[in-house]
Amino acid sequence: MNPLYVGKSIPRLDGLEKVTGRAVYSVDLALPGMLHGDILRSPLPHARILEVDLSEARKVPGVKVAISGRDFPFMFGGMIKDQPFLAIDRVRYIGEPVAAVAGESELACQEALTKIRVRYEELPAVFDPRDALAEGAPLLHEGQENYTRFGPFESVPGTNICSTSTYALGNVQAGFEAADEIFTDEFYSHAVAHSPMEVHAALAQYSPDTDSYTVWSPTDGPHRRAKELSDALGIPINRIRFISMYSGGGFGGKGTLVAEGLAVAMARFSKGRPIKVVFTREAELTASQTRHAAIIRLKTGMKQDGTFTARQADIVWDKGAYASKGPDVAKRGSLTVFGPYRIPNLELVSRLVYTNKEIAGAYRGFGTIQVTWACEAQMDIIAEKLGMDPLEIRLKNCMQEEDLYINGQVMRGVGSKETLLKASQAIGWGQAKSSPNGSRRRGMGIATTLKPTVTPSDSYCLIKVSMDGSVTLLSSSVEVGAGQKTILAQIAADTIGVPLHSISVPHSDTSIAPFDFGVTSSRTTFHMGNAVRDAGGKVRRKILEWAQDVLKTDAARLNLIEGKILEEGVGERITLQALLAKIYQRGGSLLEVGHYSSAQSASLQASPDLQYMSSIFWMFATHAAEVEVDTQTGIVKVLKIAAAHDVGKAINPALCEQQIEGSVIMGLSNALLEEFKMKNGRILNDTLADYKLASMMDIPEIIPILVETGHAEGPFGAKGVGELAAAPTAPAIANAIFDAVGVRIRDLPLTPEKILKALREKK
Amino acid sequence: MKILIELTVNEELCRLEVEPQQTLLEVLREALHLTGTKEGCGLGDCGTCMVLIDGKPVNACLMLALDAQRHQITTIEGLDNRGGLHPLQQSFIDAGAVQCGFCTPGMILSAKALLDINPRAGKEEIKKTLSGVLCRCGSYPKVIEAVLAAGEKMKGGH
Repeated sequence: MNPLYVGKSIPRLDGLEKVTGRAVYSVDLALPGMLHGDILRSPLPHARILEVDLSEARKVPGVKVAISGRDFPFMFGGMIKDQPFLAIDRVRYIGEPVAAVAGESELACQEALTKIRVRYEELPAVFDPRDALAEGAPLLHEGQENYTRFGPFESVPGTNICSTSTYALGNVQAGFEAADEIFTDEFYSHAVAHSPMEVHAALAQYSPDTDSYTVWSPTDGPHRRAKELSDALGIPINRIRFISMYSGGGFGGKGTLVAEGLAVAMARFSKGRPIKVVFTREAELTASQTRHAAIIRLKTGMKQDGTFTARQADIVWDKGAYASKGPDVAKRGSLTVFGPYRIPNLELVSRLVYTNKEIAGAYRGFGTIQVTWACEAQMDIIAEKLGMDPLEIRLKNCMQEEDLYINGQVMRGVGSKETLLKASQAIGWGQAKSSPNGSRRRGMGIATTLKPTVTPSDSYCLIKVSMDGSVTLLSSSVEVGAGQKTILAQIAADTIGVPLHSISVPHSDTSIAPFDFGVTSSRTTFHMGNAVRDAGGKVRRKILEWAQDVLKTDAARLNLIEGKILEEGVGERITLQALLAKIYQRGGSLLEVGHYSSAQSASLQASPDLQYMSSIFWMFATHAAEVEVDTQTGIVKVLKIAAAHDVGKAINPALCEQQIEGSVIMGLSNALLEEFKMKNGRILNDTLADYKLASMMDIPEIIPILVETGHAEGPFGAKGVGELAAAPTAPAIANAIFDAVGVRIRDLPLTPEKILKALREKK
Repeated sequence: MKILIELTVNEELCRLEVEPQQTLLEVLREALHLTGTKEGCGLGDCGTCMVLIDGKPVNACLMLALDAQRHQITTIEGLDNRGGLHPLQQSFIDAGAVQCGFCTPGMILSAKALLDINPRAGKEEIKKTLSGVLCRCGSYPKVIEAVLAAGEKMKGGH
């Protein structure tokens, strides 16, 4: 049966609420008896806390809660339990929460914060991960080996190395010996802010009677956050209930406990009154999370004909003060430094290093953005030296269907080559340059990449059919803005055979909807989509069985389309509503559980002991950019970006295009405009006037291109798109700058100052 | 010290007591429960709190509630108060100009201010006018499409 909804650009289900302003976000929520929560943050990058005196703060009228870390002495962390809710005896970055107050009004809280006295003993701080690796560097986490670790994340005791991993395949030394040319380059990918338009915000309420918490939040993984709180507080998961709200943008930044943990800590002391915590934009920029900065050294051996002989990669990730999701960024994210290329011998050393700075966490791309920057910039350095066309060298080396990934997994649904061809074609690759006169020069650049998804992981859902035939899909795949609700409803409607408008997809509530790993790693369409296929298939079969009994015919002759039961050769027999009226004469509901786990897939098979590196699907993308560089000012104007993405199958093409366009803009903004200005651990540009995000004036023409290779195990062949999408943008722009003016910038961001300096040095 | 003020919001006269230092944004969101107007920065940098004052776009976080008296204030909630959606709202849905939705009210109101004066506004004028509203999802290309499409409809005398 041809799907009626899948594959079509159905307008998003949340569109109406959002264009009318009726969509409710965490920042909009007000509960009876609610108190405002506010945070006192550390003014120092590294210090011992000698005393926190809250006595005067507690006297401020209207203030109901004033606590410090000692009052709530728990540690949390989804990968490494290294982070206090409020600093306990030590602060490790400027902006770290030290004390918290909750009161009847924001003004009362602000007054109370001014009355908290904290005595610190300042400690030497370290801001550059290279300095933090040096012998004798001040240590952030002495005794870190004693932290609980949820995964194979090896620390190096007595150092600032939070986690380290290595990987090797073949023999790199032999590979380098066989090379005609060896390229050694160092690249730097800078820290950037997630900066969603909605700052971090959460509400929490504690029930002293049941020792349980309810948290309202936009977090992208409510079940994992509940588990993290459970692990931290030592109470069962069912005493922590996360109710999801619309998310005003996350991009990875809402994938750990940020405002949630602070609200929970205060709620424990507010005698049942709910606490609302809303970050300021200043706190959002300086004390939430950032993308990990990374220093990436690549040594690559090449044959004169443009084939690889070996690559050695050494990556140092700037962790900031606490682990967050860094250990997995550094472990899995590092692997894509080998690109979508056939490289016979390789070696990787990845180190994640604590520094006295804002915490770095998951950021759209999960490390792939950083390593793609290095991989794809070096690819053009290699092409230039070997006298090859940048497109040609990529086409020559890119992975093809059924190639082996570096762990021996057979890769299927490999659209690498097709994205290269389509993006280059759309930009007019190889056509003569048409630089305008004067100081401006035009150029084109290309960059390609691949990304795995978190594997294995699980999604569960419930589908409930009410007695009138209306359908409720209970899933914890949060609507973060990418259209999760719409896509899942499309899949459900086509799987069951009911109209799209008969399906409602409420926000997740962890006390009702079953476990989902989270809206992360571009996994929702594939994983939750498959869970919906599972539950929807069961619902459909049950309905057709009932129809068989009621209509006294063979189920094999029956079909359910758009809520109507049709019989082969007869036509419509009964509506779903009329059928259920017969089945549920005294009321009732049909409930089915859907489950998908990638763990059992045969496609994950790999070399012995290396299956952990396999991915259930692989995303591929190529961006081709055309830029104009003003050689007088160093200013880069991006004219056009063609972005081709292998999405497997577009469940909703318009939503896929949104992800691609949005990522190109984010990638461009990160690469050209954004940079934290730091002094002694303090972020100086803490407003959106000084920390620049791309506005509508900064965008080029964007050509989104969907490549649909199909995936045998994906729902209707779908894979994912959103995470990978920004990764090739920065190197495509940098490569285009080189094409235009012949200067190679190795350190992000691509500022006019760096370009001018490079132009002067070139002369 | 609270002061009694009168505000005309979405053609409705509201009488309420405010603190003199309260911004229009605070009063709209907290006293009048019009939470469609968002706060993204509180400093006039992001445009998510855009409202119309006598038809002109203003960051509500930068205006005192006191100063908004004797003006016609339009928030996103006032756009569909005659029943149907405003052409801009419909175009935003149709063109896929909405992602997380947090900037959407500001975008729509900013566009309304422009199209009310010039429904024939072209791409460059739209870009220039709407650049005061930031969108991290990067919905810009489809917002431009939506505004162009709404302009077409509004030329017809909506």
